[in-house]
Amino acid sequence: MSILEVRNIRKTFGNIEVLKGITFTLEKGGVLSVIGSSGSGKTTLLRCLNFLERPDDGVITVKGEVLFDRNDPKTLHESQIRRKRLHFGLVFQSFNLFPQYTALQNVMLAPELFMKENHTWNAEKARLADEAEELFVQIGLADRMNNYPHQLSGGQQQRVAIARALIMHPDILCFDEPTSALDPELTGEVLKVIGKLSEQNTTMIIVTHEMEFARDVANQVIFMDGGVICEQGEPHELFGNPKEERTKQFLMRYNQK
Amino acid sequence: MKKFMLLLVCLLAVCSCAYAETDSEYVKAKGVLVVGITDFKPMDYRNEAGEWIGFDADLARAFAESIGVKVEFQEIEWNNKILELDGRNIDCVWNGMTLTSEVRAAMACSNPYCNNAQVVIVPAASAKKYDTVESIAGLNFAVEHGSAGNEQATLHGFKCTEVQDQASALMEVASGTADAAIIDSLMAAAMVGAGTGYENLTYTVSLNSEEYGVGFRKGSDLVYALNAFFEAGYADGSISKLAENYKIQAALIKQ
Amino acid sequence: MEVIIQQLPIVIHALNIGFMQTLKLFAVTLLGAFPLGLIIAFGSLSRIKIISMTTGLFIWIIRGTPLMIQLLIVYYFPGLVLHNPIWGGGESGRFMAASVAFVINYSCYFSEIYRGGIQSVPVGQQEAGLVLGMTKKQIFFHVTLLQMIKRIVPPISNEIITLVKDTALARIIALQEIIWAGQAFMKGSYNISGAIWPLFFTAFYYLVFNGIVTVMLAGLERKLDYFR
Ligand SMILES: Nc1ncnc2c1ncn2[C@@H]1O[C@H](COP(=O)(O)OP(=O)(O)O)[C@@H](O)[C@H]1O
Ligand SMILES: [Mg+2]
Repeated sequence: MSILEVRNIRKTFGNIEVLKGITFTLEKGGVLSVIGSSGSGKTTLLRCLNFLERPDDGVITVKGEVLFDRNDPKTLHESQIRRKRLHFGLVFQSFNLFPQYTALQNVMLAPELFMKENHTWNAEKARLADEAEELFVQIGLADRMNNYPHQLSGGQQQRVAIARALIMHPDILCFDEPTSALDPELTGEVLKVIGKLSEQNTTMIIVTHEMEFARDVANQVIFMDGGVICEQGEPHELFGNPKEERTKQFLMRYNQK
Repeated sequence: MKKFMLLLVCLLAVCSCAYAETDSEYVKAKGVLVVGITDFKPMDYRNEAGEWIGFDADLARAFAESIGVKVEFQEIEWNNKILELDGRNIDCVWNGMTLTSEVRAAMACSNPYCNNAQVVIVPAASAKKYDTVESIAGLNFAVEHGSAGNEQATLHGFKCTEVQDQASALMEVASGTADAAIIDSLMAAAMVGAGTGYENLTYTVSLNSEEYGVGFRKGSDLVYALNAFFEAGYADGSISKLAENYKIQAALIKQ
Repeated sequence: MEVIIQQLPIVIHALNIGFMQTLKLFAVTLLGAFPLGLIIAFGSLSRIKIISMTTGLFIWIIRGTPLMIQLLIVYYFPGLVLHNPIWGGGESGRFMAASVAFVINYSCYFSEIYRGGIQSVPVGQQEAGLVLGMTKKQIFFHVTLLQMIKRIVPPISNEIITLVKDTALARIIALQEIIWAGQAFMKGSYNISGAIWPLFFTAFYYLVFNGIVTVMLAGLERKLDYFR
């Protein structure tokens, strides 16, 4: 059974329809790459999945639970949103680390608050600290845990942001152009971390302009254009033998670069 | 809307009960007479211990005692004296207040108890030069805003600057920013000349003669109590003795 | 000079009493206006139109009229119009009325600074908190607040320095702050008349106090320098 089912998501801003009915599924442990030109609605799609935007129509199902159904008022309660959000994680293009906290504090803040709220902090804080430190080893920043964000390079900040998302144990981790704000020589270190995650069977949706990476890491690729899924398939097919004219043109433009 | 009506009713209730009692009942009920004053030697001023003394202060203390309430002195901004009275923040103005037409219109005033004049203050060095009304006509005057001195300056067509109080008017002359000031003769006697803080100033021309009285809220019945208190105090000589203390016995008015 | 040395202890004593009123008003205004300003800022940022508009109107009225008039209204209105002199005539009532007027006035100025501060924190910070499952309240107190404070320290410092001097306005309702105390020596009290120097001497108090405040605020600014 799929871990995520997205059916007919629509989103309109003012009178511009940005998402015109997006439907796809994702298997547990699968990696989905989303490509497409700027303005095609990729970010909006991720924001809808993370409940930062409310779709105007559609259904989102995770592990068989309907998290959102536009036509079922029971699924629309504000009070449930917080819990539902935790099925997803989101890594932003611009990192959005909290500047006043060290790297380690950035990673620990949300679970710490959550545990304090549930009065499990005292019992779990040692375990949480261990886990955070393991994550820092995993992202290769064990020696920079106590630095503030402004003392880290963009690539290092983005890796901390990934650890911050991972510590909440999301079912599906989303990336919105995680390397677009980075100098070219820094993208590699971030992509390496994401690559390692896929080896560990982390379920991920990755919006990216790094075509080579998208092909290597994903087991499924979606090409979006003008708010619809124009083409969808396995990486070697979509990249090696695209069927749609628009996909071909898009890939050609990238190959020239 | 309902809430608004309720509020209105409450307001009216508050208004009406405020008028249900006479002023003396009101003062006796709260047990203190709040006397509005300014710092004005020799009528109301602080001794070295910081307590309020002066001819008016002592008299007010005795009056409060006579009607069985405590006295409380409250310095006020002189321009706001009518606001203070009507707003019930103070109960009377007792501060060497000249009974001008404006004061009489706005307050219930006691019988006059002290004579006063508006006198011209000039530097002692030029006192000889400025001893007639004609000779001072071209000077720049400093007067307290809204005071009897202010009225006199207007009446005589003098050029004048209005300042905050009479003490400030004196300071203007002392610092040379004004040529002359017009203040109360009782104050002048206590504050300028040899042995005072303004040794180099003196007073010359008297512009008028006028009287001091105590002001209560309009319609207050405390006026009658005070007039009776004045009469009794004058008859038994206690007021005259108090006046001698502050060297103003010559100005006292027979009750 | 000799006279001044003789008068100095009496003057200093009286000025100290006046300065205590100045200090008290200063402290109460800050203690009241810091939190109230935040509430007003939330009001003006509210997505509920009626709340944001009412708050906006209130801020406009308070910032658009002189503090001196507000002092007169707060102190005299209850007695004059409602026939209920809630403040009483004494010094403590005047102090309370002055405090109310000052807190309201400064809250409105602070609220606008807060609003700017809140809005200048990138939305990405809030969204990062949301996707990590934090509540709006947690995000405000643990993410936004300190970043906002860092941004508002300079403009708030300006207001605080102004407040030190603005306390002198309370004399309009005869609150006996330090300038009032300084002027008493021109009027013959304490057996000192015509002494003008105490009035000018009050400037020294303001100067020293403002110096201390400035150093403390600069210290706070430096403390928040550890992040960008
Ligand atoms: N909050 C918003 N209000 C109005 N228009 C928006 C908003 N967010 C995105 N859009 C518009 O939606 C379209 C898709 O944006 P986006 O999802 O960011 O595309 P992508 O991430 O693929 O570049 C763009 O035309 C963008 O201008
Ligand atoms: Mg985007």
